[in-house]
Amino acid sequence: MKRKLLSVLLATAMVATLMVGCGKTETETTETETTETETEVAETETEAAGYAGELSIMHFSTSEESQGNGGSDGFRTMLSQWQAANPDITLTEEVLANAEYKTQIATYAAAGDLPDVFLLQGMNTKTWAAQGLILDLTDAVNSSPYAADYNKAYLTPFMDGDTIYGYPALTGGTCTVVVYDSAKWAEAGFDTFPTTWADVEAASAYFDEQGVDTIAFGNGGGWQANSCFISTLGNRYTGKEWYQSMIDKAGASFEDAEFVAALAETQRLFTSTSIFNEDFNAITNEDAREYYISGDAAAFIGGNWDVSYIQSTLSGTDLYNTTKFAVLPQPADATKDPNSQNIGLGYAVAVSTEVANDPAKLAAAIDLAQYLTGPEFSTFVAENYALGGFTNVANVDLSGFDQWTQDFYNWSYVDTTACEIYDSYLTGDVWGLFNTDLQTMMNGGITPEDVAKHAQEAYLANY
Amino acid sequence: MAGKSIKTNSKFANGILGFFMNAMLILFSLSCIFPLIWMFYSSLKTKREFYADVTGLPENPTFQNFIDLLSNPNNNLLSAMLNSVRTTFLSVVLIVICGYVLGYILSRINFKGNRVIYIMLLMGMLIPVHALLVPVYIVYKDLNLSNQWFTLIIPYVAFGLPIAVFLVEGYIKAIPIELEEAAAIDGSSFSKTLFSIILPVSRPILVTIAIIQTFACWNEFSFALILIKDSALQTVPPALTMFKGQFSSDFPKTMAALLITMSPIVVLYFTFSKQIIKGMVAGAVKG
Amino acid sequence: MPESIQPKKIVIFGYMLVPMTLFIFAVFVPLVAAGVFSFFEWKGGPNKIFIGLENYITLINDEIFWTAFGNNIFLVVACIIGQIGLAFVFSLMIYSRLVKFKSIHRTFGFFPSTVSAVAVGFIWRMVFDYKNGVINWFLTAIGQEDLTRVWLNDEKIIMFVVAIPLIWQYIGYYMIIILSAMSSVSQEIFEVAELDGANGIQRAIYIIFPLIKNTLLVCLTLCIAGNMKAFDNIYVMTKGGPGYSSNVMAMYAYNISFDKSNNLGYGSAISVGIFVLSLLVIGGSQLLINRATRSKEV
Repeated sequence: MKRKLLSVLLATAMVATLMVGCGKTETETTETETTETETEVAETETEAAGYAGELSIMHFSTSEESQGNGGSDGFRTMLSQWQAANPDITLTEEVLANAEYKTQIATYAAAGDLPDVFLLQGMNTKTWAAQGLILDLTDAVNSSPYAADYNKAYLTPFMDGDTIYGYPALTGGTCTVVVYDSAKWAEAGFDTFPTTWADVEAASAYFDEQGVDTIAFGNGGGWQANSCFISTLGNRYTGKEWYQSMIDKAGASFEDAEFVAALAETQRLFTSTSIFNEDFNAITNEDAREYYISGDAAAFIGGNWDVSYIQSTLSGTDLYNTTKFAVLPQPADATKDPNSQNIGLGYAVAVSTEVANDPAKLAAAIDLAQYLTGPEFSTFVAENYALGGFTNVANVDLSGFDQWTQDFYNWSYVDTTACEIYDSYLTGDVWGLFNTDLQTMMNGGITPEDVAKHAQEAYLANY
Repeated sequence: MAGKSIKTNSKFANGILGFFMNAMLILFSLSCIFPLIWMFYSSLKTKREFYADVTGLPENPTFQNFIDLLSNPNNNLLSAMLNSVRTTFLSVVLIVICGYVLGYILSRINFKGNRVIYIMLLMGMLIPVHALLVPVYIVYKDLNLSNQWFTLIIPYVAFGLPIAVFLVEGYIKAIPIELEEAAAIDGSSFSKTLFSIILPVSRPILVTIAIIQTFACWNEFSFALILIKDSALQTVPPALTMFKGQFSSDFPKTMAALLITMSPIVVLYFTFSKQIIKGMVAGAVKG
Repeated sequence: MPESIQPKKIVIFGYMLVPMTLFIFAVFVPLVAAGVFSFFEWKGGPNKIFIGLENYITLINDEIFWTAFGNNIFLVVACIIGQIGLAFVFSLMIYSRLVKFKSIHRTFGFFPSTVSAVAVGFIWRMVFDYKNGVINWFLTAIGQEDLTRVWLNDEKIIMFVVAIPLIWQYIGYYMIIILSAMSSVSQEIFEVAELDGANGIQRAIYIIFPLIKNTLLVCLTLCIAGNMKAFDNIYVMTKGGPGYSSNVMAMYAYNISFDKSNNLGYGSAISVGIFVLSLLVIGGSQLLINRATRSKEV
């Protein structure tokens, strides 16, 4: 036995030494893995042809992520097509899952060592622009061959004043949608989802008797109540001008009565009614949507990513056919647009300032950014997933899609009005504090006034 | 008569005590092995089945997750495993050797600075790594030490050293000094005493250190994430994050990936656990 | 060690040079760098503004940080009792002749500490889950439905709830350390101290405890150090919530530096704070132990 152990150890040691030997020569860089899709290579690829050399890009569309996620799939596809069309350029990819991506890109930013091209999160725009880390792309965006088709509204999170710092990337989707089982709500006496919270409360009495949660919600991560609830509910009280004023530092305050009223209504809904599942603060949106899928909840509030998951999971069931979409109900004392939902693009393709030192390289980087967010991309996600991106494409033919996909497309882009996703703007310093306070507030542990006060202090100190 | 009844009484008490001790340990051991079993049968589920009933057994067990993983051209699990094997092996060897030498010196030799070094090592255990990623990245980058095949060995050895030194130091203090005195009388040099007299006696603690550090290096995440950019040099933990999406995670597939990547060390550990334990016990000092 | 067998200074120096250089580089250089950054207002990127001690003044007045510190202290105490205490008791049991499957217990016990925090967190979330969790199911089954609750959303007990998985996961870790220390204790001593009856346990503790005191002290230090910078398990279970009720210092520093904002200057100050407080707690515990053992010996 002893000899066996020894021989295994020896073998391991040998293998290890061998690997040490070749470690250095393994490879210096990782080149893009795929060149499978060479069919649809665009003909507009002329600008980038002038540059030959390395171009580094960092993103979070992992191959896992791209399965079923239209934005990621499109992003990866575009990337490999662009690489195929530009064989002289060595595209060095660093791909990390989203959570790790955020840590890593913050580390690189802190060290002043950003990759040439990367995905910029809306709330980092102003800070990083002030640090001189990201390149002013205003002219590039305006003179882009696709400029006429750009949906300019998506640009705001990536602007500081009039300066544009990125091409909004991936797909635009809502962060607040009510997914409900029309069959259950019909039994409760509602043909469509109630438009007021008062009606939802009335319905919750019926669902309580049935032993079913009225609406499933998960705020275990702390960000969900902000992105998927307050961001839309707040707009119902304050209107869009208020948040624009917050973004522009034009006088609005978290302590404004309208916003505090939105917080108070949120607290009331979560602490004094039986609408939501009791464990909403302990589970995530991923757990909460399972309550809906299993029929333990009559509705669910979440984002577009939850809708795609629920869709692929329910496919082929009765619930699939009775599932419908609605906007957040309107509070009794709210006066602004009752049909609004928050939609936008959270990330943009940005370019590091370092790249500007080499004009040919810069041209290649901009070409890549435009390709990743251009009509090719939009067409791809529209045809395959019924999703929209930064560039508008005319006459999307939805007839090939089933009822669910058509319904959700129309709900997202046609039948509702858009409002801002709060945490695409301002700064993380505000949201970190706000989200944590919000979680406490939804347990009844802190007053809406104090939440607003803390947020306003952080806003004044950091933005 | 009286004597006999006391004997049966104590036999009875022993029975009860034995029952409770066995029951407690068995329960504990079962709870310890449950995660492995759960991970295994969860990896045989589909994502849907997993979320529908997290604890339940799979209704239609499938190896699809394993097949997907191993046939996916985009994952680099295999090269990541080789990198992990290399990094872990070299780190552990260095930790055990350096930890043994330092621990011995600190426990047996009086010199100025002995306590200073002890306290410095203690400080090493108190560094909150998660919060120091940016300084770490900047230092390694500026010295051109990041993104090399040996990069991770530096922090792994440095941060593994304190635990090793302390364990060795505490262990050697309990060894009677007569051993070294006898060796000195026989004319054994310091180095010879260190490596051929005390080393065998210290085997149990060194084996323990090796086990602890093997798993620690294999599982380490933060340094591996920030210091390695090149996916050809990536170790297993960052490579595993590829199975996480932004808004969704495929847990059964993650479990399958965890099992694949843990398998080398787990198999090694369970296969040789008898020998490892024997090694730990065999070194016991007599007397 | 007697003078006669003290080696030459140069020999000792030679042996220590390489490992200590490596150690100082890898451990202290980043710490010193963080110390420097902590005097700046720095949100990442090339621009830093020197602000002297301002970050530290903020830190001293930061209630969130001190709540987190309190939670760390709670974890330290809970884990010393739970991890080292149980590990010691289990190790003694394994040495008892009344116990069977000794090698299985040794092998299995260590296993949880090798599993990633994500998997452990998942398993324990199933235990504490409100709707389908084991605990609420059990309470309902024995008719104590009133006691069921949303375990992970109760500020008053959340620290107990997150401490349990942490304790469980690392019992085996300390067990193998203690077992290896016990292996240096002569077998005859164990026979004398054989666990038979209540007196046996007492005897075992009084006889074995002093013999492996050094190793137990190392375990104590490891346990304090580990829990002062606890992160993974709690991050997976609650992310510090609800609110700040299960927040710990390292998570706070991480959130400030990365997750929730990029305030690297203040994040560095928090890291330095964690380091200093940990040093104080360990120093304090060693003083206490020294005083306790000295007064006993006198």
